[in-house]
Amino acid sequence: MKAKRKFKRSDLMGWLIMLPSMILFAFFVWEPLLENIRLSLYSATRFQLEEFVGLANYTKVLRSPDFLDAFVNTFKYTFWSLVIGYLVPIILGILISETVHFRGLFRVGIYFPNIIPGLATIWIWSYFFMPGKNGVLNILLSKFGISPQIWLNNPKMTIPLIIVTMTWKAAGSTALIYMARISSISPDLYEAATIDGAGIWKRIRHITIPSIIPLASTLLIMQFISVFQILYEPMVLKNGGPNNASISLLMLMYRYGFRDFDFPAAAALSVMVCIILVILSGIYMKVTARKDDYA
Amino acid sequence: MAWKKMKSKKDGAIRDYDMKSPRVRVLYICVVILCIAIVVTCIFPAVWVLLAGFKDIKEFNRNATIFPSSLDLSKLKKTWELLKFAKYYRNSAILVAGATVCAVIFNGLLAYGFAVLKPKGYKIAYGLVMWSLMIPATTSMVSLFRNINLLGLNQSFLPLWLMYGANAFWVVLFKEFFEGIPRDLVEAAKLDGCGPLQIFIRIMLPLSRSIIMVVAIFAVTAAWSEFLLPYLVLNGSGKETVMVKLFTFKDTPTDAVSVLRAVLFSIIPPTILFVIFQKQITDSAAAGAVKG
Repeated sequence: MKAKRKFKRSDLMGWLIMLPSMILFAFFVWEPLLENIRLSLYSATRFQLEEFVGLANYTKVLRSPDFLDAFVNTFKYTFWSLVIGYLVPIILGILISETVHFRGLFRVGIYFPNIIPGLATIWIWSYFFMPGKNGVLNILLSKFGISPQIWLNNPKMTIPLIIVTMTWKAAGSTALIYMARISSISPDLYEAATIDGAGIWKRIRHITIPSIIPLASTLLIMQFISVFQILYEPMVLKNGGPNNASISLLMLMYRYGFRDFDFPAAAALSVMVCIILVILSGIYMKVTARKDDYA
Repeated sequence: MAWKKMKSKKDGAIRDYDMKSPRVRVLYICVVILCIAIVVTCIFPAVWVLLAGFKDIKEFNRNATIFPSSLDLSKLKKTWELLKFAKYYRNSAILVAGATVCAVIFNGLLAYGFAVLKPKGYKIAYGLVMWSLMIPATTSMVSLFRNINLLGLNQSFLPLWLMYGANAFWVVLFKEFFEGIPRDLVEAAKLDGCGPLQIFIRIMLPLSRSIIMVVAIFAVTAAWSEFLLPYLVLNGSGKETVMVKLFTFKDTPTDAVSVLRAVLFSIIPPTILFVIFQKQITDSAAAGAVKG
């Protein structure tokens, strides 16, 4: 066993080489996480901490009506993100895996929105969702004789449409992951199924879909985690509106921090989001560890 | 019809022997048409930005059409000069260049430690890095911004560059690649008297061109697209990047066509990058994320 070996000169060399990067991780990732906890327990004016206030910042955030809106919206975002954001890449992956013609074009085409900067994506879609006859989607609808819609201004539609925008941007890269998995399925399985008389739909149901389920369950948790990262999409599209209908937890954090300069309240909110994320990550690690056992 | 091509089909539920049936042929054509429609949906918004950029504001407000009345490049040039976009492009280039260098060097060195040197106790550091994969950086933006200010690093590119040296996902990409490099090469270099840093520079880096390329492409697109921290750190310093400018449109009333043209300017560089490196980008997206 080499686990018990002594600390040697080469170990020191190794740590020295890793040290600069470790300092960067400490400064940009680890320290801010801990600093958030400390910050959330103090009162402050701007950057200067004043006095220890215990959990007062937490109760302040939890009692604010904006928090309730953001909290409820998180469930709505989660729902639509599962219905739209989660399923679209699976369907895309399965469909494109069935093609031979233009396969290269399809791969590149669906990935293209990924390289468009997120902020540019949001601006582009804000023109698509513009109410009135000049909105791009309304121009397209008018060709089919459908009257102009108000899109994001309808509070019931705001969150689903934000998810549509995010899915447009991100679905392609996830679909490529599914395609990689599907193309690793042994052709023998399909051939054996054919001999047993399975039609195409049955082959997809009993071979393709079961073989992507482990991957899909991993990506399901990633999907949950991604909901908690929603920040600038509702902020730029509708500034969280109409009437807080699309405000997200991190957007509320941004407001506390950089509109009201109430850093402790912002920190308290991010600590709460982090706790949720750590729990979700724990589940993720469990799920992936179990998958490795089978492999 | 090119049914012969079906012989080369290696994956999916529809096999080449199915294609004798006319029903399957119709189904297959439907799938292809559906995929074409999806790709059009993916590309159309960008094409629309290009087309609408050629409209002036009157035409934009009055005519509910997709195509502009003329393709006059001088209109774009006017907005470019009016918004002083050359400056924002230059600032973005500075940010992207520094960020990419940091991304390759620092994440590469850390991964080299995890994959090859493995100093005693490295697993603790590795575990910490893996956990930070799960916590998105945005959640700690407030205290990070506060730290940057307390150190007097605001209005400077430095923190924005260095931030790219601490990316857990890229560390994992490097680590997995380095683990695939034969151990014998490292041992042979050691016998020749090379120190660990020399081995990294002379052996690891030259053998890792492909993964360096992948991380560099990711870093370039990420640094080009980033705007929240750059906005907080750089706004008002004269070092605003293209994305910072786009973000400030949110709070400053600007006419729709100028914003649109700014959006067009912001998507041109990543699109060119994608056209050149499409194969590397799509391949690494398909392979890398499975592990990450």
